[in-house]
Amino acid sequence: MEQFIELLSQVNTFELVRTIFWGLAGAISFYFSIGNARVWTSISIGFFLIFLGQAYAINPWVHYYKLSAFHNIVGTVAIVVITHGFLEYYVFCRTFEISGKKVAVYLFSLLILVAGGLFLFVNPTPSPNTIRNFKIVENAIWVFLSIMNLELIRKIYVAIKDSPISKGFIAFGIVFFLIFLWRGSELYLQIFQWDKDWQDIIAVMTDEVSDIDKFADRVQISTLVNRYAGFLSSLSVGGTFIYIYRLLR
Amino acid sequence: MFLLPKGNPLFENLAVGTLKLPEVLAKLSTGNFTGYASFVFQEATITLVFEAGKVVSALHEEENGNRQTGLEALTALCHLMVGTSGGTLNVYKLSKDLTRCIHALLQGEILYKAQELKLVDIKALLEKIGSDKMSGCLRIYTDERSTIIFYKDGAPLGFFHDGSQDIETSSSESQKIAGLPGAKIDLFTTQGVEHLMGLNLLEIINIQNIWETAVALQQSEINRINTAREERERKNIAGKLEELEDQVKTIVVESVGRVGRGIVDKELNDQGGNSCLLDETNVVKFLAGVERSAKLLISATSLKVMMEQLSRTITAAKSGH
Repeated sequence: MEQFIELLSQVNTFELVRTIFWGLAGAISFYFSIGNARVWTSISIGFFLIFLGQAYAINPWVHYYKLSAFHNIVGTVAIVVITHGFLEYYVFCRTFEISGKKVAVYLFSLLILVAGGLFLFVNPTPSPNTIRNFKIVENAIWVFLSIMNLELIRKIYVAIKDSPISKGFIAFGIVFFLIFLWRGSELYLQIFQWDKDWQDIIAVMTDEVSDIDKFADRVQISTLVNRYAGFLSSLSVGGTFIYIYRLLR
Repeated sequence: MFLLPKGNPLFENLAVGTLKLPEVLAKLSTGNFTGYASFVFQEATITLVFEAGKVVSALHEEENGNRQTGLEALTALCHLMVGTSGGTLNVYKLSKDLTRCIHALLQGEILYKAQELKLVDIKALLEKIGSDKMSGCLRIYTDERSTIIFYKDGAPLGFFHDGSQDIETSSSESQKIAGLPGAKIDLFTTQGVEHLMGLNLLEIINIQNIWETAVALQQSEINRINTAREERERKNIAGKLEELEDQVKTIVVESVGRVGRGIVDKELNDQGGNSCLLDETNVVKFLAGVERSAKLLISATSLKVMMEQLSRTITAAKSGH
């Protein structure tokens, strides 16, 4: 407990609030998945996993690099499961086919996470640079799948735009736009090595220099976008699920 | 129609619907029956004259006066027997002489037909029969009663009236009938029918074949009518099912939006088309499918209302079939 309190004192307040909001969004979406159709299970489980992916900020054992890397794997699995859910919804809108069981989604998610854990377990402890690589891969997948989800959501909306639930998909569109900004801005910083992790890494390296000072404005804007888009996306996810819950009640 | 003397009845008003002509003829033939069998239908009467079991004459007379004899008459009888259920059979036993007279009556040439007696100079007519040495018969009848006077070479042979078993010599009954209001006459000349008496139509005509052909034709006609009826019913049901499908789609579209049309199409297709709406089990499956899909698009409250509306509509349509 003491370790946890000490960790909380070290965590950036903004990041902590954002994680708490993701926790709320995760709880709401997980609750939503209970008693609903399988496509909603995938989507809501995915959003719940985002919280687990973000929970490194309040994880007292996060200084274990393997555990830190596991958060990134969970985050990656989250967007894959969400995308799977939207893809199923899109297929439903086009073919009206609903197949599969909810338990398969739970088991699949669990299996992937276990496989990710095993992958980390059998491999050497990741270095800070490896952890950063995990983050880059995670963000790249998030950005790519966010764009794909935006397109899927647009198509779903076009197919069901006169249905009561269609406005819920506009809300999801906003969510993924914010997620795109959140993850995209972080990826942008990582690609150009202006992210904090890289700065920490090169601080202990003698022969590496950074051009971050030359692009201070871009770095500042990207950092701001990353912070607020991440925060707003957690809020929008919670709000969207509450809205859809009311629509489907 | 002919009003023939009734003679001695063997059967009267026997329903024809259950009888088979070959069996009836065989029975009368083997019994050496002498007399006539009259098959009475709504649209025609067929009279078969028997002498010692031989069918010597067959006459088919329609309501409109058209007459056919021999093969045509027997063929018409077969078709009428297999095609109608309302006919009756009367069989009257007569003496050989009377039978011959009836035969002559049926096969003879018509000179007068249903002529009002009061418009005819009967005295002059009788004189003409005598002077022309006419052989034939004069039938005098009303709606209720009938008498026939047979002539040979212009001289009367005798009189026959209802209830008689044989030719009588007294003309009193004929005079009574002639005096009744509305009495009419038919005059037939005979062309020497004796040679015809030796014929047996059953030896010339294969009545079994004619009967079987008539039965086959009738069966074919029944099949054609049944097929046409089934086709009409099928089209009728198909029309009602399309109407019901449209109603179902309208209900679903009103609740879930235009995507509902696709949901209904898909679920109907999964159950083998809109005919599934006639089957209770398939209706349950169809409704479950629609409910599962609609659950992704509308609220639980709207879903409940929609499902109740669908059930009511389908039940009402089915009860209307």
